[in-house]
Amino acid sequence: MRKTAIMLALLLGASAAQAQLPGLRRRGPAQPTQPVLQGIDALRTDFAAQAGGTMVYYGAGSVILGAPAKAALGLQAAWLRRHPEVVVRIEGYGDSLETRDHALAVGAARAEEARNYLLLLGVPAAQVSTTSWGKERSGLGRAVTVLVR
Amino acid sequence: MKRKFLPLLLLGFAGAAHAQLPAATVIAIPPLTSPDSGDKGNQMLAVGWQVTQAIESDLRQTTEVMPLKPNRDDYYSYPEVTAPGFAKWRSAGAKALVTGFVQGRPDGRLTIGCYVYDVDKGRELARKGFIIGANDWRRAAHKCSGVAYTAITGAPGTFDTRIAYVAQSGTGEGRMRRIAVMDSDGMNHRYLTAGDAIVLSPRFAPKGTQLAYVSFSGGRPSVRVIDPTSGQERPLMPLDAISFAPRYSPDGSKIAVSMMLGANSDIYVAAAAGGPPQRLTTSPGVDTDPSFSPDGSRIVFESDRGGTQQLYVMNADGTGQRRISFGGGWYAAPAWSPDGQWIAFTRRGQDGRRIGIMKTDGTGEKLLTSGPGDEGPSWAASGREILFQRTGGGGRTGLYRVGLDGGEPRQVATPQDGSDPDWSGVMD
Repeated sequence: MRKTAIMLALLLGASAAQAQLPGLRRRGPAQPTQPVLQGIDALRTDFAAQAGGTMVYYGAGSVILGAPAKAALGLQAAWLRRHPEVVVRIEGYGDSLETRDHALAVGAARAEEARNYLLLLGVPAAQVSTTSWGKERSGLGRAVTVLVR
Repeated sequence: MKRKFLPLLLLGFAGAAHAQLPAATVIAIPPLTSPDSGDKGNQMLAVGWQVTQAIESDLRQTTEVMPLKPNRDDYYSYPEVTAPGFAKWRSAGAKALVTGFVQGRPDGRLTIGCYVYDVDKGRELARKGFIIGANDWRRAAHKCSGVAYTAITGAPGTFDTRIAYVAQSGTGEGRMRRIAVMDSDGMNHRYLTAGDAIVLSPRFAPKGTQLAYVSFSGGRPSVRVIDPTSGQERPLMPLDAISFAPRYSPDGSKIAVSMMLGANSDIYVAAAAGGPPQRLTTSPGVDTDPSFSPDGSRIVFESDRGGTQQLYVMNADGTGQRRISFGGGWYAAPAWSPDGQWIAFTRRGQDGRRIGIMKTDGTGEKLLTSGPGDEGPSWAASGREILFQRTGGGGRTGLYRVGLDGGEPRQVATPQDGSDPDWSGVMD
């Protein structure tokens, strides 16, 4: 029963979206043409170029997003809203001086704070996951947005 | 009663020992004998000599007991196992004596007996016998070493224990990391994971029957449980959450972990057999590295709820949380000692990361290592030594052990760089 209802909702949603298409088409000639991106590598390159990089940085021991980090995430969010088919994972890192488990927790919190900010800017939750590398890989003090697919 | 008696005994030994060596009790270990005769007797004497040398090697690792070098000329007869001559060992400066025998059994196994004596008083302190497989003589030697060490110091020995750690090979991002286990003397070294994922934090169940660890195999760090014998493994919890810092309860039934809920890391406890976790802390910020008291009633953990990382103690149900560390610097990675008296920790300060201990109420703080790259203390079963990770120049890591007297740490040999050690309790 519930499945049927969901299917119905999806169909309705789809037909509603289609109904808007003629309106979009009318503005067709004025629309700048997006380059057709194929493959994850091309998408990654475009993301890094358009968003001004894939990384946001944090103060030592801090999980708080500063103004430069928010600006960088704003560009990332704009790109992600244009590419709803792309799924990303934010990988947080701790600091090298921290103890192992504290660094893991800090890395996870940094990734989560960055994700929350992207969601605040309208990126769908399902599009962004998080993980933490703690201090187990080089790349300390930051969170990196990695395109998964 | 036992507690009271044994330290007195230790004092007795220490008082009688030579002034220049107040800490170590000299012990004589003449070669184990055998009641068997003929070819079989010779075989058993050969095993006995191996056991003797293994006991010497075990005891030489300790700071409290100093073995005399065993000499094959000090052969004694089977009846002398329980009625040794003491005059020879008195004149050699020994305060304690180990005798023993190896006897072949009709089923091919061996009976090994060990006896420990107070040389000055001419009195037996302890004895123990084992029936073991013919190839398990090393295990029996560890047990004998433990009997001697406990008779002299009053503390459990660490000879029949294991060390788990993360073995690292290669460098940089291509570095391979595997969970490895070995006997505490470095024998029987083997790998439990294949090296296809980053692994961290191996932690033994009390009798070493299980091992919890953190794996990045699913893309995010999460706690898994492995049976070291069969190699069978599974996730601890049926959740897609980041979890880490596992530690078993003293009865082995539960595992405390930290788990992320959003940007918040809190302490949870889950049944070791699996199932949903119960939340113990709720503060915003990082709560991690839980460690149970030996009676299972309390948990020490680290939290930055007050602004910096500090140590807190709570009841095992999460009630009664209170801060215990008030010295300078940041305190992390606490581990409750097996005798319940101490909490070991990593202290982060201007001088880097160092290993220290404090009493369970936070008093009596003492730093044991000079750093600057030390972390992750794990207690010996004896409660008299701590195993930890030291990161040296170039980022290479090794395992080190240090006594509570704060002497120079000694490196524990591992085939590759080692990190994140855990020292098991005494095996059954």
